[in-house]
Amino acid sequence: MTRVLREIMLVSAKDLRIEARSRQTLGLVAVLGVLIVVVLGLGLGPQQVKSGMAATAVLWVAYLFGGVLCFEKTMAVERHDGALAGLMLAPIDRGVIYAGKLISNLALMLALALIVTPVAVVMFGFDLSAAPLGFVAIMAGGFVGFAAIGTLFAAAVSSTQSQGGLLAVVVFPVSLPLVIVSTQMMMRLFGEGEPLGAVGLTVLIAFDAVYLVVSWLVFELILEP
Amino acid sequence: MNTVNKKVWTAYWLATAALFAAAVVMIFAWTPTEATMGTVQKVFYLHLPVAINTFLACLITFIASIGYLWQRRQVWDDLAVSSAKVAVLLCSVVLLTGMIWGHSAWGQWWTWSPRLTFSLVLWLLYVAYLVIRPSIESRQRRALVSAVYGVVAFLDVPLVYLSVKLMPDIHPSSIGLAPEMKMTLLFCFLPVTMLAVGLIAARYRLQRAETLSMQQADDPSSNMIAANPAGGFT
Repeated sequence: MTRVLREIMLVSAKDLRIEARSRQTLGLVAVLGVLIVVVLGLGLGPQQVKSGMAATAVLWVAYLFGGVLCFEKTMAVERHDGALAGLMLAPIDRGVIYAGKLISNLALMLALALIVTPVAVVMFGFDLSAAPLGFVAIMAGGFVGFAAIGTLFAAAVSSTQSQGGLLAVVVFPVSLPLVIVSTQMMMRLFGEGEPLGAVGLTVLIAFDAVYLVVSWLVFELILEP
Repeated sequence: MNTVNKKVWTAYWLATAALFAAAVVMIFAWTPTEATMGTVQKVFYLHLPVAINTFLACLITFIASIGYLWQRRQVWDDLAVSSAKVAVLLCSVVLLTGMIWGHSAWGQWWTWSPRLTFSLVLWLLYVAYLVIRPSIESRQRRALVSAVYGVVAFLDVPLVYLSVKLMPDIHPSSIGLAPEMKMTLLFCFLPVTMLAVGLIAARYRLQRAETLSMQQADDPSSNMIAANPAGGFT
């Protein structure tokens, strides 16, 4: 067990080290995320911006687009110099590669959220102090499921000579249940002031479990140098 | 297609058309008009059978996708894409008839009610299935990615259903129907299911023919035979 954990950490540490040295992905997705928040803020106008609940929707848009870029980039690094073939030849299980990539993606998305969320909270006058832990729990649940699906399809789509945007078209429809559940929970938590119920969180965790198990099972089939 | 096969298919489509005609007669001449909604309610006799057949088409795509992952045979991919195309068509009909109903019942073409959202997400899931395919050049890779997506998309359907349950609802969950209405509804399942199955089969046949001609084009040895049926290189 500890050996598997160490292998997973090795794969994700490799990705994060590449990112720390090149700083290609995070800079790009952070600026994209802030731009999305600004564009939507300008588009919605002062009336709707101050309604309070617009911030959660805007944040989801920023996370979804930023997330897809993260997934694309973490797989794209493997496409150079036959790195993926090397990774596949390494004496590790394919599930380990999946878990390692998932952790790298989650780390990048967390960094994205840490930059974009304060911007949206300030610009949209969103009162996060009402239930900060609830916000973190719902978003964390959403992120895990989204990254699980994103990591799987990034491996599938990145090996093709695809046009840009293909990964978004694949991942967004599949992730919509997560968006629906988390926005409904946010509305109850911040709009109606209801406490975070165990039912909503259980649904979110169950969704994550389904996405994780399915992605982990089929990842092996889809990984090709 | 041989002559017997052709005759069977002609008979099948004629029967489907006849049953559709009978259904239309039943809907407009025999079934009573609903008290509050009037004639618009009659769209319901098409809406529900088409919705059920959409699930059927999605299920066939799911089974064919598993079949492809299991055996890696091109026939499974051809079946999966054929039924996915029909699923998108049927789901579009569900959305349109639902919108017609909604406009009459609630005065709006679209509301974010759970079932409308569910149909929309289902439609998006399978439209994405069709959209990603042309972007992948290698035939084997396209079939593999599509099969994985076909499995994930179908497993996503219950999650979509559960998630929309959290939304506030105005959609009728059960409707009191007069006996004639029930009879007509049940009868409408027959032509709609025959149409769905027929469309999937027709599309599958076309898809097979396309695949085989592509395979021939890819394979130079078969090309040479086709170009010079007598054989040789002259």
